[in-house]
Amino acid sequence: MVQGTSFLPDALRQQLAEVGQVDLLVGIPSYNNAGTIGHVVRAIQGGFAKHFPDQRALLINSDGGSKDGTPEVVRQASIGSFETILAAHPLRTVHRITTPYHGIPGKGSALRTAFAAAVLTGAKACAVVDADLRSITPQWIELLLGPVVRQGFDFIAPLYHRHKYDGTITNSIVYPLTRALYGKRVRQPIGGDFGFSGRLAEHYLAHDVWSSDVARYGIDIWMTTTAITGGFKVGQSFLGAKIHDAKDPSVDLSAMLMQVTSVVLTLMGTHVALWRKVRGSHPVPVFGFEYAVGLEPVPVNLARMLDRFRTGARELRSIWELALHPATAAGVARAASASDEEMDFPPQLWVRTIYDFAVAYQQRRVNREHLLRSLTPLYLGRTAAFVKQTREAGAQEVEEILEELCLQFERDKPYLLQRWEETGGGS
Amino acid sequence: MTVTFSERLLGSLNMFFEAVLRFLPGLLAAALILVIGLVVGWVLRLLVSRILRVAGFDRYCDASGVRAVLGHADIRTAPSILLGRALFWLVFLSFAMAGLSALQVGVINQLIAEFFLYLPRIISAVLVLLVGLLLGGFLSRAALLGAVNAGMPSPRLIAIVVKLLIVVLSFAMALEQLRIATSIVLAAFIIAFGAVMFGLALAFGLGGRGVARRVLERQWQRQREDAADGFSHL
Repeated sequence: MVQGTSFLPDALRQQLAEVGQVDLLVGIPSYNNAGTIGHVVRAIQGGFAKHFPDQRALLINSDGGSKDGTPEVVRQASIGSFETILAAHPLRTVHRITTPYHGIPGKGSALRTAFAAAVLTGAKACAVVDADLRSITPQWIELLLGPVVRQGFDFIAPLYHRHKYDGTITNSIVYPLTRALYGKRVRQPIGGDFGFSGRLAEHYLAHDVWSSDVARYGIDIWMTTTAITGGFKVGQSFLGAKIHDAKDPSVDLSAMLMQVTSVVLTLMGTHVALWRKVRGSHPVPVFGFEYAVGLEPVPVNLARMLDRFRTGARELRSIWELALHPATAAGVARAASASDEEMDFPPQLWVRTIYDFAVAYQQRRVNREHLLRSLTPLYLGRTAAFVKQTREAGAQEVEEILEELCLQFERDKPYLLQRWEETGGGS
Repeated sequence: MTVTFSERLLGSLNMFFEAVLRFLPGLLAAALILVIGLVVGWVLRLLVSRILRVAGFDRYCDASGVRAVLGHADIRTAPSILLGRALFWLVFLSFAMAGLSALQVGVINQLIAEFFLYLPRIISAVLVLLVGLLLGGFLSRAALLGAVNAGMPSPRLIAIVVKLLIVVLSFAMALEQLRIATSIVLAAFIIAFGAVMFGLALAFGLGGRGVARRVLERQWQRQREDAADGFSHL
């Protein structure tokens, strides 16, 4: 039995055996996405037909027990007539499998099934795309799989144009921290839509992380970091705009933030020998033709964010004091006590807050889940300051502000290293 | 008569000296056992404290909130040292009891037997109380974080109520373990717990109906505002 695939149910193994060897595989994790997944399946089908007509391809949907008929939509979705998008008919049939996944409910468990299917079918190039995408086109398949198939890349991260208030965890924590730690400018490390080689899928499966937060929201950053730290060839493709289904209001921000940051900080502890030596950062190759896109406005409730930040400062001070350096804690207290007009959470204060939390996480000074849950009000405080700063700013100006934040993370890395060594985290 | 007196005197003295001679080895043995207990307890205290410190026990106690619980009781000593001391006293007391039994005094032997029978109850009561305090601290902090992140009103009050309920419950369980006025403690706990719940039901159901409605409405409004917020954080 191939390593890391023993968890697959026999029925799926049978289906994969019937499909046989394939060249390409695209996985779609889903849960109650009947409204959008049909469009995603058709885009993939079109992408295979248009850009890889002579390759054997498999589309696998791993579903988390949808109640809205998502698997049926996947089975029935069809592009109809290829004449509208193609000059000729595709040469090969796209195999399609829809299967429930096993393990902890979450995107990570769903993708694990896709990785195992890729290894068992011998796929050379794979991609995973979210099931709630509205802006996916057949071109995305070429952009995610093409660099792997034709140029020998192992990991292709997405590069989108997003609204300035879309992806704020990415912009304020995950991208700048990952860039400062590992020195690679992967702009959307938790973008959700990735291309990767078969050998990287095998590498992913060899890790025993499927009962941690990687099985949930942490999978995206884990895939990106594992590809970078494993020395794999990493690139990114410009996919245009990322427009996806409206978020599920029941999804708890605090849980989402905790799952993502716990994976980032755990990996930080694992790869300390690697990131300790890295200074500065450098860009990674970009594929695709970059163009400007119009984005829908995003409503923002600034007063609510400020209220949550101040409530946190009032109620969670005892936890923050265990994590934050006294100077950082004083800066946070000043920000919380300022009026709405004067409130600011400057980049350096934010960088030191994140670095202090990273050190406290390694030291286990506070229960790790509690520590990361206490980060939510701080994150909302920083986001509120960012919204105030960029209210009138255009996309280019916002990108410059984010670049300055990233440079601050890089400039302050000696502070992280110093605190890491002082507190014994650097062993 | 004189002979009788001297005989009696010598007899008494003989009996006394015989008793002292009979008692002396026991006393010496008791003293020796006590000294051995002191040495063994001291060595174990040193060994256990060091092993725990090297193994990062103090850091673990920080993370799990044990240190915070001790802090509330104004105990600032490191948990590894504290555990070492507790072990020393346990070992020393056990040796002391063994030493006392070497004296072969009936009453003391009976007291020692009772002490050893009661010892497991004391240990389990202390453990129940410690676990209750730890669990109370942990769940209280979890409740505080949950309430703050959900934007609920009075998060501190929620956290205090959670902690109080768990600590009171563990205290009642510890007293039950010690068999101290079992029925009174149980009855008091049931009455107190029932009174609190009944009081809350009355306060929210009758007196504070308006307040309860406002709190729930505000919470619902906050949830609607959250859903309407267009942020996609990931």
